[in-house]
Amino acid sequence: MAETSEYNIGTQELPLMGKVNAIPEKAVEEYFTSGHRTCQGCESALIMRLMAKAAGPRSIILGSTGCMYVANTTYYSTPWVVPWMHTQLGSSGSAATGTAAALRALMRKGKMKEEPINVIAFCGDGGGIDMGVSSISAALMHAKYNLAIICYDNESYANTDIQISGASPWGANTTFTPPGKKFRIMHDCWKKNIAAMYAVGHTRCNYVATADASYPADLIDKVRKALAVKGPAFVHTLDPCPKGWDYDPFYSHKLGELAVETGLFPLWEMTDAALTYTGISARQVYGKRSRKPVREYLETQGRFHHFVEEDYEYFQSEVDKMWDDWMVPGVIPFKVNDPSKK
Amino acid sequence: MATATEQQQGAGVHLLTGSEVMAHICRLADVDVITAYPIRPYDTVMQYVSKFIAEGDFDADYIPAESEHGQFEIVKHASACGARVFTGSSGVGWLYAMEPLAVTAGLRLPMVALVGCRALDDPGAFGTEHNDAMLVRDLGWMINFPDTAQEVIELGLLAYRVAEDPRVYLPCAIAMDGAFLTHSQATVRLPGQDEVNAFLPPYDRGDLLLHPDNPITIAPQANEDWLMEVRRQSSEAAKNSYTVLKEAHADFSKIFGTNTNPFLDEYMTEDADVVLCGVGTLSLPVKVAIREMRKEGKKVGMVRLKWFRPFPTEELRESLSRFKAVGVIDRDYSFGSPYHGGIVYNEIKAAMYGADKVPHLKGFVCGLGGREVLLEDVKQMADKVISMGQNDAADNEVDWIGVRG
Amino acid sequence: MSVISFEVIYRGIFQKSLAVKISRTLILAAVKEGKPGISFGRYSDSPERNGIPAKQFGYIADNEEELETVAAQYEPKQVDISICVDDTLCKGVESWAWYGLQPINAVTKPGGTLIVTSNQKEDDLVQHIHRRETPYKLAIIPGEASFAGLWVYKDDGTDARCLAAALKAEPTMCSIASLESAIRENIGSETHVEAAREVYEDLRPVEIEPGQGNDEVPFTFELLKWHEMRQGVVIDGVGGHEGFRGGEGGYEPGRNPYFKKWSTRTMRPVVSFEKCTKCTLCWVACPDTCFDVTPDGFFDANMEACCGCGVCEAICPVKDCITMVNEVVFDERDSQWQMWQENKEDYDKYMDEKITTGKIDGRHPITGLAGAFSGIGLETGHNPETAKIKPLKDL
Repeated sequence: MAETSEYNIGTQELPLMGKVNAIPEKAVEEYFTSGHRTCQGCESALIMRLMAKAAGPRSIILGSTGCMYVANTTYYSTPWVVPWMHTQLGSSGSAATGTAAALRALMRKGKMKEEPINVIAFCGDGGGIDMGVSSISAALMHAKYNLAIICYDNESYANTDIQISGASPWGANTTFTPPGKKFRIMHDCWKKNIAAMYAVGHTRCNYVATADASYPADLIDKVRKALAVKGPAFVHTLDPCPKGWDYDPFYSHKLGELAVETGLFPLWEMTDAALTYTGISARQVYGKRSRKPVREYLETQGRFHHFVEEDYEYFQSEVDKMWDDWMVPGVIPFKVNDPSKK
Repeated sequence: MATATEQQQGAGVHLLTGSEVMAHICRLADVDVITAYPIRPYDTVMQYVSKFIAEGDFDADYIPAESEHGQFEIVKHASACGARVFTGSSGVGWLYAMEPLAVTAGLRLPMVALVGCRALDDPGAFGTEHNDAMLVRDLGWMINFPDTAQEVIELGLLAYRVAEDPRVYLPCAIAMDGAFLTHSQATVRLPGQDEVNAFLPPYDRGDLLLHPDNPITIAPQANEDWLMEVRRQSSEAAKNSYTVLKEAHADFSKIFGTNTNPFLDEYMTEDADVVLCGVGTLSLPVKVAIREMRKEGKKVGMVRLKWFRPFPTEELRESLSRFKAVGVIDRDYSFGSPYHGGIVYNEIKAAMYGADKVPHLKGFVCGLGGREVLLEDVKQMADKVISMGQNDAADNEVDWIGVRG
Repeated sequence: MSVISFEVIYRGIFQKSLAVKISRTLILAAVKEGKPGISFGRYSDSPERNGIPAKQFGYIADNEEELETVAAQYEPKQVDISICVDDTLCKGVESWAWYGLQPINAVTKPGGTLIVTSNQKEDDLVQHIHRRETPYKLAIIPGEASFAGLWVYKDDGTDARCLAAALKAEPTMCSIASLESAIRENIGSETHVEAAREVYEDLRPVEIEPGQGNDEVPFTFELLKWHEMRQGVVIDGVGGHEGFRGGEGGYEPGRNPYFKKWSTRTMRPVVSFEKCTKCTLCWVACPDTCFDVTPDGFFDANMEACCGCGVCEAICPVKDCITMVNEVVFDERDSQWQMWQENKEDYDKYMDEKITTGKIDGRHPITGLAGAFSGIGLETGHNPETAKIKPLKDL
């Protein structure tokens, strides 16, 4: 069989961290550093830092429009040590594909020195969960391109002043969905289950994971696995956003933990079509640790300030369904009907 | 050892469509990354390209994309990494890629794209109309309009050579009339690989290359403190494209042994009283009509613009000032513009303003949506221009030719 | 004066509602007397970032023609009144859209007034304010900086008090009666009006002479010409690191030389190296890459890069190892680890003194916690539980 995907220069060998205090020893170097102009306590900036740290010096990073472009990388105020290029809001998948294709073509044709170079394209939830779905989906089809797409999800169009996205949680106050006298809940959709959607729909994509900067070793290792795997990979991170979620930046790390502890954002990874829960989520799914009430998470954020009792209850019931009713808890949101039962 | 295609279609004369010639240019230029997405009529080029690749006639990463937006973004990024790229589209597909089209020029990336010119939806006509290609005329894109499959060799190779010149680094659109050129076969002399290599150096992105050895930041967000300076640079590059194109054209003539004018194709103008002016494959009915009118003693000629960007202002002024009157034929429209004419008419008028000698100019809109421009249509236009010349009076009315009613 | 111009310098998002309220209400007070005015946020500051300095501007004129004359220049080049609602901004303002550090008094007219909400005395505060060649007045409204969030407005009377101070600085703007009426209509209760009146009566601006204040030259950045800039919207990436403070061992990352985030901070971490267990968490969790790794494995918060979020204190597992301290009590940006290396006893004393004088009493509460925050719902008043105005404190 002669496939166009035969040529693959391979990927870099990147050691895993295992635990957080191994990071200074194994990955002290910074490739995303000071110079960005993001908010105090910006967890997305931390994602960028840890992502670049995981990728290392032989990397090209593409960033689609969003906070991590506008506030993060401004003219003469770049934080990037590694080469970085802007891409349009909906085109992180295309940017990664184009970059990987150029490297592959030029190396194969002897126009560029052969070496595995990490290609990462990142996007926010606007770029990765709304507008960019088409291009990311296409990018995840090509087994011949080694690339990783990282969606840093802060649950709104935070850059443009907190407008609702397909990743905004139910009921959240955003500048496009403010609570009012007639409608308390203007945002009546449930957040898209994006990582699972990409994992289920793209059989040539061999690595999909969810991560959170509050678990930095887990995050770095997942980025490294995404880069080490041949072919495309996708990582979805949940990033507390002090501006849009409305809390003191001091609590950024805490909220990242609460999102996982309440079961709202399960941590998992899918490698070669096999799913593994990681960290606290693994203990929760096997019943070794209980989920905290989601109210603890919601109450700490101004964007849910308008919630009343029934809202908290509804929210909790939806999270409970994720864990109790779904075929794969917190990941695959349907059941298989048993034909013997009518 | 020559491949099957090279044996059949190596240097020499072949019967080829314009799209097919463009596919050969990709092969001869050793393009590295190509993206495709289907839309008539441009997509024929990708059918040839993909077959060349499948047969092993040339080596490129060829990606059928998920949309035109993806298609153009992919090659935009490949170009930043030092790859020579090719892509294309038509009509509303080209418009779906409008965001990448704008940023590609803004980022000074030398993408070469084929526009198989097609009417914009709605209604969804497949035939040629130049509004799609013309929509990038203000963004920094170079645009040429070949009129024959043979001319695609010249304009296609010049596109890469000028676009990739570091003094320019601007993308180039080859605007090819749908059907008349994309789908019609004609005899074409294909150049040999050695000639092409002598003309077209490898693409070198220099210190703007996106690579770990050159850790730069490309396209950070810039506010009003910087944006005007960035635009000023693009304006300089667009100005440079004119000079670089002249240089490159001289090299082309030498290496390929051709004898063409870089910007204008003039036909029977030496003794002409009036000329018809336009772009693209209109030249064929215009030339034939001119020959017939000449038999009637009417001294009509043709001046065809090969390049719309860079716009050959000086050459055009020099040429058109020789005539009493000029008719500009547009296969496009600019609704609500001065005199409600087409884009070429508007730009030629602007170019002539302030010239020492300005002929009377009359605008025509015809052949929209691929409607055939008949010899009678051309004669009708020429007669109107002749009478405007004889009357020596301005006629700012723009006439629609070949429209019912 | 026929035209009065003013600016409100504030912390992005945290004080956005406050700044808008001050700017709007001042104009609306003048409008009551038939004077036209405009109020606007600096467009380049938008979208705002938490803590990153931003500005609101306003003009009040006697008639439309005068207003047009000043408004023709979008951003005021000089203002009669500068209102600074966070005293840590007195160290300088680096907006995310600017290049370089702008002194807080950069556009205050000669003889104009700089109003600051602060618990500091004039003499202490002026040590932070960059010196200049022309005199100006400094007026302090006693009190802590009023911080809130994007959705919830902290109703502690700061707005009313700033308005009264502005009127005191430029009494020709409108009458106190008009201001009081505008406060009633746009801010709230009689409590606010009383607070305003008190400030109007008590405010005592002091004259700051030329040459008085901080002698540090604020860092600047020269904008390049179009032919000096690289083509293709390309800039150099950040250079690599060179050891720790240029020496052997440790790790100090390369940092962008054009943007220093320290004017974004309202607090800074003070680290007890005696208590530190080198667990690495503060270093790992810092979104601003502010911790340098010292040759002996400690983590030293670099004051050129810290934006004061406090995540390091929140994450530190050791009690009292990292303490966030009010930025206003510091005059220097020296390395704490180097100070500690030089003299451990002195450093401990320094640390204790800073913590005693500048410890923040409790965090700015999570704004959504009902009852933990004396706030009213912003405009929609969506939560009836917290929509009540609580008594003003510290008046």
